[in-house]
Amino acid sequence: MQIYLPIAELPVSILTILAMGAAVGFLSGMFGIGGGFLMTPLLIFLGIPPAVAVGTQATQIVASSVTGALAHLARNSIDFKMGGVLLGGGMLGSLSGIYIFKLLSNIGQIDLAISVVYVLFLGVIGAMMMVESVQAIRAARGGATPKKRSGHHSWIHGLPLKMRFRRSKLYISVIPPILIGYFVGTLSAIMGVGGGFILIPAMIYILRMPTNVVIGTSFFQIVFVAALTGVMHAVENQAVDIVLAFLLVIGGVVGAQYGVRAAEKMPAEQLRALLAALLLLIGLRLGYELISPPEDLYSVTEVQVMK
Amino acid sequence: MRWGTALSLFLLACTITAPARADQLVTDLSEYQIAIRSNFTGTQILLFGAVEARTPGSRAINRDIIVVVQGPVRPMTVRKKEPVGGIWVNHDSVTYPSVPGYYAIASTRPLEVTAPPETLKALRIGIENISPGTPIAESIDGNIQILPPEEETAFWKALIRNQRRDGLYFNLPGGVTFLGQTLFRATVDIPANVPVGLYTAKVYLLQEGQVIDTISSPLYIDKRGLERFIYRMAHSDPLLYGLVAVLVAAFAGWLASAIMGRR
Repeated sequence: MQIYLPIAELPVSILTILAMGAAVGFLSGMFGIGGGFLMTPLLIFLGIPPAVAVGTQATQIVASSVTGALAHLARNSIDFKMGGVLLGGGMLGSLSGIYIFKLLSNIGQIDLAISVVYVLFLGVIGAMMMVESVQAIRAARGGATPKKRSGHHSWIHGLPLKMRFRRSKLYISVIPPILIGYFVGTLSAIMGVGGGFILIPAMIYILRMPTNVVIGTSFFQIVFVAALTGVMHAVENQAVDIVLAFLLVIGGVVGAQYGVRAAEKMPAEQLRALLAALLLLIGLRLGYELISPPEDLYSVTEVQVMK
Repeated sequence: MRWGTALSLFLLACTITAPARADQLVTDLSEYQIAIRSNFTGTQILLFGAVEARTPGSRAINRDIIVVVQGPVRPMTVRKKEPVGGIWVNHDSVTYPSVPGYYAIASTRPLEVTAPPETLKALRIGIENISPGTPIAESIDGNIQILPPEEETAFWKALIRNQRRDGLYFNLPGGVTFLGQTLFRATVDIPANVPVGLYTAKVYLLQEGQVIDTISSPLYIDKRGLERFIYRMAHSDPLLYGLVAVLVAAFAGWLASAIMGRR
C-alpha cells in the first residue's frame, strides 16, 4: 500500500516505512540510543531528499526522546541543571547547524557534508566503542578488572565560571558543557540525529558525570534541541513531512518495546560490541559510496526559490 | 466606412478560403485536472481527437499527429562530480533557467520520419529541441565560468538522461494511433513524481511533414485534500506547522510512555 508524502513529494510504501521505523525502534530500544543516525541514511537511500530526511527525523527524535526522558524522570535520574546548561549550548548549536545546512544546500554540497560527517563520527565512535567493549569482554573472561581512569583533576578544573551541579556531584566550569551542547546541537541539525551517541561519551569522559544520570540528562537535552531543530527546519527549509514523521513514530514506538525486552536478555558488553559493529558497518557503507565512482557523474536538482 | 467594408470582405474571404486550404483538428483530454491525494501513485491521461477534413475527397495520406505534454518550467541545476582527494565531490555546475519538469511526446510514427529536423527544431518539438534558456556555468567556488560548448552540451545531455531515468521525459513513437481515417487517440503516463503546476497538451497535425494545424489544452496537476492542506500550511505558515509537528511528536512520545507504564 502506497502513500503520497506531501512534502517529500513522492509516494512510499506504508509497510516499508513502518518496518523501517520498527527496525530502527527495536535497535534504539535495545541500545538505548535515538536511532537517528540509522534512520537518516535509510531515508536518503529511499529517495527522500536529504533536507526532508533530516527535518522529519528531528520530529521523530522528539517523540522517542520524550518517551526516554519520561522514563528517566520517573527514576529521578535527570540532572536538570546540567541539562539546562547543555541545552543552552545546544540551542545555539542547532541554530548555527540550520544555517550551515542551508548554506551547504545552496552550494550543492549538503549530501557530501552529511556523508562525510557520518563517516567520520560513526567510524571514530564505533572504533572507540569496539576497542573498549572487546577489552571489557576480555577482562571479564580473564577475571581482571578493567583499568580505572585516573587523573580526576583535568584541564577542565582550571576554567572560570564554575557552577555546582548537585545531582551530578560536580563543581565545574559551565564552558565545557556549553561547548559540548553547542557541538552536538550543530551536528544534530546537520545530520538529523539526536546526538546521544556523542553526548553520552562526552558527558562520561569529559565532564565526568556519574553514569546513572547521563542517559536521562541526555534525553532531556535532546527533547528540546530536536524540537528546536524540527521547528527551524520547518521554518527555514519547509522540510518537515508530517505524514512521514507520523509513520516513523508509530513504527518506532512499537519496535522500541521489543528492543528493550531483547536487551534485557543480553550482557551489556556484548550489546555494546554489537552496537559498535553496527556503527562501523554503516560508516563503512557510507564511506565506500564516497570513494567509489558514481554511476552517473551528473546530478540534477531543482533550484530552490529564494525567499 | 470603407475600411470596415474592406475588413468584412477580407473576413468573408477567409471563411471561404480557409476550409479549402487545410484540415482541422478537434481534440479533448480525458481530464483537465489531476488531483494528487494521499493514494496518488501516478496516472494516465487519455488524449483523443479527430481530423476534420475540409477538402472533400482529400485522402488521409502522409497524415501525422504529434502530441506533446509539457509540465511547468523551473530553474534546474546540473552538477558534475569529480574526484577531489579520493572523494567524489560536486564540482562544476550549470543552471538552466527554464526547464520543463515533465516532457512527454507521442507520435503516430517515429519523429525522424514525420517531419524534417529543421521543422521540429523551429517548433521546438522533441526532447532534443527543448530550449532551457541561457545556461549559467559555475565552478566549485561559486564563480561564473565559461564552459566550452561540448562540455556544456554534456551537462544538458545529463539533465535529459536524469529526467528520462526518473520517467519525467519520454517519447512514444507510435504512441498516437489512428482509429480509421479521422479518429486518433494517445495515452500518456503521468508518473507519481511529477511536479505540480500547469501543464499543456499540444497536438500537431502534420501533412507531408508540414504542420497544418495545432491545438493546445491546459492540464492542471495539483495536490488535493489533506495533501494540499499539509503542503499549503508548511509553506504559508511554517512556524505553526513546525510547532504542530513537534507537539504531535511529543504527544506521541508521551502516549507511548503512558501505555508502557500501565503494562
